[in-house]
Amino acid sequence: MRGIVKRHGTFTALSGIDLDIEPGEFFALLGPSGSGKTTTLRILAGLEPLDEGRVLLDGEDVTAREPGARDVAMVFQSYALYPHMSVFDNIAFPLRMIATPKDEVERAVRDAAAKVHIDHLFSRRPGQLSGGQQQRCALARAIVRKPKLFLLDEPLSNLDAKLRLETRVELRKLQRALGVTTVYVTHDQEEAMTIADRLAVFMEGKIVQTGAPQDIFSRPASTVVAGFIGSPPMNLMPAEVREGVLRVAGVDLPVHRRLGAQGAVTLGVRPAALRIAPSGLPARVYLIENLGDTAIVDLDVGGQVIKLRTEQARELREGDAVHLTFAPESMHVFDRDDGLRREI
Amino acid sequence: MKRGQARFSRSGRAEKGARLDFRVRKMIGENRAWPVFTKEGTARIRTLLLVAIAAVLLAVWAFPILWALLTSFKTERDVLAYPPTVIFTPTLSNYRDVIFGSASLLPNLVSSVIIAGVSTALTLLFSIPAAYALARLDLPAKRASGFYVLATQMLPPVGLIIPYYLVLQKVGGLDTYSGLILIYLTFSLPFAIWLMVSYFEDIPREMEEAALLDRAGRLRALWYVILPQVRGGIAVTTIFVFLNAWNEFLFAVVLGGNRVRPVTVAMFNFISVEQTLWAKLAAGAMLAMAPVILLGLLAQRHIVKGLTVGAVKGGGRT
Repeated sequence: MRGIVKRHGTFTALSGIDLDIEPGEFFALLGPSGSGKTTTLRILAGLEPLDEGRVLLDGEDVTAREPGARDVAMVFQSYALYPHMSVFDNIAFPLRMIATPKDEVERAVRDAAAKVHIDHLFSRRPGQLSGGQQQRCALARAIVRKPKLFLLDEPLSNLDAKLRLETRVELRKLQRALGVTTVYVTHDQEEAMTIADRLAVFMEGKIVQTGAPQDIFSRPASTVVAGFIGSPPMNLMPAEVREGVLRVAGVDLPVHRRLGAQGAVTLGVRPAALRIAPSGLPARVYLIENLGDTAIVDLDVGGQVIKLRTEQARELREGDAVHLTFAPESMHVFDRDDGLRREI
Repeated sequence: MKRGQARFSRSGRAEKGARLDFRVRKMIGENRAWPVFTKEGTARIRTLLLVAIAAVLLAVWAFPILWALLTSFKTERDVLAYPPTVIFTPTLSNYRDVIFGSASLLPNLVSSVIIAGVSTALTLLFSIPAAYALARLDLPAKRASGFYVLATQMLPPVGLIIPYYLVLQKVGGLDTYSGLILIYLTFSLPFAIWLMVSYFEDIPREMEEAALLDRAGRLRALWYVILPQVRGGIAVTTIFVFLNAWNEFLFAVVLGGNRVRPVTVAMFNFISVEQTLWAKLAAGAMLAMAPVILLGLLAQRHIVKGLTVGAVKGGGRT
């Protein structure tokens, strides 16, 4: 899988997508709905015509190839199981379409079904399966033919929360075991962060950042990414940098490091990096969301809502006046105009 | 119910009795704390009402058929008896006449089977691919052609008889099987396409997409994945098209008539200026109805489903 440029449609659903996905990699396409991630996946599959650009698979140009000729398998969000066929026939379908000998089909189907633990359900129809079993059946149908590329379109979104967590782990294990290159579409950043080797963040038909989950989390390339990744996402505040002083919400904070940027910037601080302190930014508590081990505290800082993640919310009351501080190294600075990250 | 079960739990037989008792009470709706305004109670009343309404409707619909059935076993004299008799000596002579007699309807039944069968087969052959294409492909004039297809259904058939007659006369298609079948196709094809489109549209596009990725290709995706899922629709279309062709009278009497004479036209001969042979007519009608009723019974399940198509979106899938 090498370099792809794609543009698409009259209203440009995707404008200039470039993606390099390494062999054997678990790659996630992350973004809000309508950001073009599913379209990108469908272009990889060959289900969507594209207006410009090329799709390369193992260095080969497959742009003009039919979906069936690309050797890619896909798990649809709705699973798209064939309702009139048994589980066995569903899984066997891709093999039968290329006239595989009967005993080989039998062996491959049993093998694939065993990998996702549905080998006891062969005679059932998809309608008689639970959501989780349907999902496994769709997975088995995709892995049975050992494709070059494995595409997953929000495969977990129709499962309940508990099953989703379990399946996520299993999916990761399965991918490692098979070693097949996998592209995974999701709007759930937690899912993308935990499951993927690398991911691409999509916004409005563009890729705004590509990288390992940890890199994207710790070094968001722009305010758009910063405001999307993390739960809750990074706090972004207008600030001004002048001569070793950072002015935020009318308060000067001394900065002991040299800041590369000067003038108007956007300051970003993760909710977990903020601390309640005796001095610093004055703030007022107006909502506390208790999550059990931690709490999300909504604070009013100069008319702007700032979220703080803390383990010591018990001492706080709604309406309290507090001060906020943060470590200089946990600070992110972005250009006020183009929103791009400024190294500090 | 818990109490009741506890009471009987001493011996196995009593327990069995309790279970039976439970089932019976469940059946008659006795198994609830409040006897009246429960959800099950209202549901039961509703069911009863529905059954009652259905019974009345059925009686209204079935009466003429039952009366014709009765008439078909009467002698012509009994038919004309006034007041009508319900008790009479049944006779099979009418059936003997319409099957083996000089006015035998058997050749006409064969004609009907040929006409209805061939036109149904051709309709399916053309309408299924057409409907699939209309449902799936982004054709430029899709909406317009959809309207055109339906618009042909709005024309009153009487208005078409003379043009059709003239056209068939020109091409030598009058009183031929192929001519009549061709004319029937002009009606049944648009109808069948329109009906099948809604069935195809109910199948999610992802079905073909999955099949395409599974290396089926368009044709095999249609054959192995899509068509089996619209079986119900095909059954309904078959029945409606067959019924229409079978029951058709107007075109058959004008455009056919001598060599090609389906049973509907042939039966007409029992009504003449001098007399109407009601009993034979009734026997003939019974004979003509038999295959249709048989077909209806066979496909009853599909028809009911077909009439409510779209009522429950995605009802077929979970």
